[in-house]
Amino acid sequence: MTSNSKLIFGKSKNIKSNNYVPKLDIEGVNLDDILPKKYQREDLNLPNIPEVEIVRHYIGLSNINYGVDTGIYPLGSCTMKYNPKINEVISRLPNFSQIHPLQEKNQGAIELISEVSKFLSEITGMEGFTLQPSAGAHGELTGLLIMKKYFEYNNIEKKKIIVPDSAHGTNPASAKMAGFSIIELNSNEFGEVPLDHLEFAMQEEQVAGIMLTNPNTLGVFDRNIKEITRIVHDNGGLCYYDGANLNPMLGISRPKDMGFDIVHLNLHKTFSTPHGGGGPGSGPVGVVKKLIPYLPEPCIISRDEGLVCRENSQASIGRVKAFWGNFGVIIKAYAYMLSLGAEGLKRVGQIAVLNANYLRVRLQEKYFLPYNRICQHEFVLSDKGLPNGVTTEDVAKRILDYGIYAPTIYFPLIVNGAIMIEPTETESKQSLDNFTEILLNIYNEAMENPEKLKFAPHNTPVKRLDAVTAARNPILHD
Amino acid sequence: MVFKVDFIPHDNKTISDMLDVIGLKSIEDLFQDIPNDLILKTLNLPSGLSESDLLNELKKLSKKNKIYISSFLGAGCYYHYIPSIVDFIISRSEFYTSYTPYQAEASQGFLQAIYEYQSIITRLTAMDVANASMYDGSTALAEAALMATIITRKNKILLVEGIHPEYIEVVKTYCWGQEIEYKLIPLSLLEKELNEEYAAVLIQSPNFFGEIENVEDIVKTVKNTFPKCLIVHVMTDPTCLGILRSPGEQSIDIFVAEGQSFGISPSFGGPGLGIFATKKEFLRKIPGRLVGKTREINGEREGFILTLQAREQHIRREKASSNICTNQALCSLAALIYLLCMGKNGLKELAVQNIQKTNYAKEKLSKIPGYKILNTKPTYNEFLLECPNIDLFIKNCDELDLLPPLRLSKYYNHMKNIVLVCITEMNSRTSIDKFIQAAKSASKISMEVK
Repeated sequence: MTSNSKLIFGKSKNIKSNNYVPKLDIEGVNLDDILPKKYQREDLNLPNIPEVEIVRHYIGLSNINYGVDTGIYPLGSCTMKYNPKINEVISRLPNFSQIHPLQEKNQGAIELISEVSKFLSEITGMEGFTLQPSAGAHGELTGLLIMKKYFEYNNIEKKKIIVPDSAHGTNPASAKMAGFSIIELNSNEFGEVPLDHLEFAMQEEQVAGIMLTNPNTLGVFDRNIKEITRIVHDNGGLCYYDGANLNPMLGISRPKDMGFDIVHLNLHKTFSTPHGGGGPGSGPVGVVKKLIPYLPEPCIISRDEGLVCRENSQASIGRVKAFWGNFGVIIKAYAYMLSLGAEGLKRVGQIAVLNANYLRVRLQEKYFLPYNRICQHEFVLSDKGLPNGVTTEDVAKRILDYGIYAPTIYFPLIVNGAIMIEPTETESKQSLDNFTEILLNIYNEAMENPEKLKFAPHNTPVKRLDAVTAARNPILHD
Repeated sequence: MVFKVDFIPHDNKTISDMLDVIGLKSIEDLFQDIPNDLILKTLNLPSGLSESDLLNELKKLSKKNKIYISSFLGAGCYYHYIPSIVDFIISRSEFYTSYTPYQAEASQGFLQAIYEYQSIITRLTAMDVANASMYDGSTALAEAALMATIITRKNKILLVEGIHPEYIEVVKTYCWGQEIEYKLIPLSLLEKELNEEYAAVLIQSPNFFGEIENVEDIVKTVKNTFPKCLIVHVMTDPTCLGILRSPGEQSIDIFVAEGQSFGISPSFGGPGLGIFATKKEFLRKIPGRLVGKTREINGEREGFILTLQAREQHIRREKASSNICTNQALCSLAALIYLLCMGKNGLKELAVQNIQKTNYAKEKLSKIPGYKILNTKPTYNEFLLECPNIDLFIKNCDELDLLPPLRLSKYYNHMKNIVLVCITEMNSRTSIDKFIQAAKSASKISMEVK
């Protein structure tokens, strides 16, 4: 494939360089005297591009990218809610953004981390938190390592973990990274955990516990949750809560009360910090009291004499990241919790569920809903009943033609051709009605003019892209 | 009941209209699946704040952190100049409020930017491929170690002293998770310790103490005897690549770095950017996302798409090469803009300035009685300084509004009188001279005179 003239590298000019580096105000010595020639590179293959060209190029690219500020972003299990602008301002305050992780005069940062831990403890019911993990999957790994260490420290051999087939893909991948083998558990027709299967699985040797998300990926609150956690505990296991779906539970119900021992949260989902095109996120992990000694370090603990930083404890799993965590993200989540307060957070949970159920009822007019009951934050349609061989992907691509983003597709794996929709609480009724009209309209198009869907999208900056060739002959840079 | 708006656009009438459509009487009915005793009575948190009160509150809290006119602290997090356009571009809300670009046709802007980031990293490092990012330098190093064990099917890792102490801790945690053995040795024992059981040698250069290692020699030493053993090279301030030989030229197998120096503010150490690059032959073992260039199925136009996803957790679940999903995309965009701003000439000029200014400070400090530069190899922008009165020196710095250097005893108990000093292009001659003044007035001689 020929070099792409659209790329920034095509805009390189024969200019010296942009003027950012300060003027050298000391007398330098001969470079070779302080850095022997053999350490110096001969060539540096970077372009020199005038600033104005860089700005226009990326403003141009931003114009062909969709964000929450563009419109509804109904990705299931992703909680793409509005990102309040004040939080961006606050995270850029110089006394937050310009502080060094190893400086001694850091009381404000330590206090903020401690306050966020307290807020998250109240919201989840947990008794100790670490804010070090950088993302949800990183939090999962951290939580599972805590589980591993707990058993290791108490000389109990545990090597396996139960993960339902409806779980997020990161769950089994994280479990493997923590050294566990997976026992996959088939969900029942509502995506719930069948108690008899669970009892049976827990009878196996060396089972450390279960990883669960509740509400599950079908958006269903598992009515047997207390039974589930009891069975696991009775058999010497621990219960891990995947907090990707915490949004509808804000102020409504708490993982600790459901019987969970460890929880990870996604600040970039539930607590409104922007997803940044894929990151940075933040994945705090909360635990019940008996697991606090195993939290990663440094760990800020509130004692009578004030905040202290625990380091080098024998029981701790160690570090999972250099320094303190994605502090810049944590600030935004704190600002969000402070703006909403107790009543506001509860309302988030309520309206998130109201919005999801409104869409569920309205879309049922044309689309097949395999698990038809009241949902929580999200629900999953299937491809059953799509006419004329139209696929889930066709529907998703056609949605893009209407200038909005498509839902999560082909997940969870337990639903054929899944279309997973989570509107979040920040979408207005008008926005939900508009989304509904578009989806119902697309269904009619599938009946009358299926070709329109099979070759969709038509109105986007590029038409449907060839994923197969991209993977077969990967071109990953210019 | 009247609610405050709080980012939720519904009024009470809308809520009751929507409940009617659903066929329920009250909001509470939406939660009928939840057992009664699991319903939370009240959330014991304060009431919400208005935007203006919130800003005041947090400004007040932020002031409990001290910021300085000039910094002499690095150790994995650096103060470099950030061109204004970096924050301007990453603040475009089409970028920062977007999700992972799963729907390629509606995400071409970010996909192309990530492709350009991957391109600029391969150019900078002379490695064959770079991924879309990892969380930070420390986790990138840990994942590189894991990747080496997968490639070589061996279960032992050799860490060479001089790697950032916190990175070593992270590698240990990850290795313990998968029951991978590790050993930490001084560079001088590398030849002696190495055997065919090791999957990889992990080495940092410039190392934690600021020294530039002879990476090429190290690679030769290892590869001559154990050609299958992989070399993982890590650095914490890759601005040095403006002048130092690239990892690609030196046959490094996996290169990782903390990319915070590339246009990302320190922010108490996060978010940063994990740079991850490797050789073509290891492409299918690379952790994390990759963006590829392709074409329209029924058209001629080029476009960009997430590719080789069969490596990733959402497809392969427990068989994936890593569990990473969310990465540091917006930070990689910042790094891209930064590197484009600096360009070939600017990055070189910057790296040379770091070396020259550091040399200027070293020269002056070594002349003060009682002070000693402990490095024996060439340095980039950090060095070890032995001080006669470390507490007074650090106090002096703080009083002169200079962020004091790192006490090495934080990580190495026995190194009581040593600081790790960092000097970048941001340190003006005036600030370096002030730093030298702080040192002088904490020297034995001056104390005797007093």
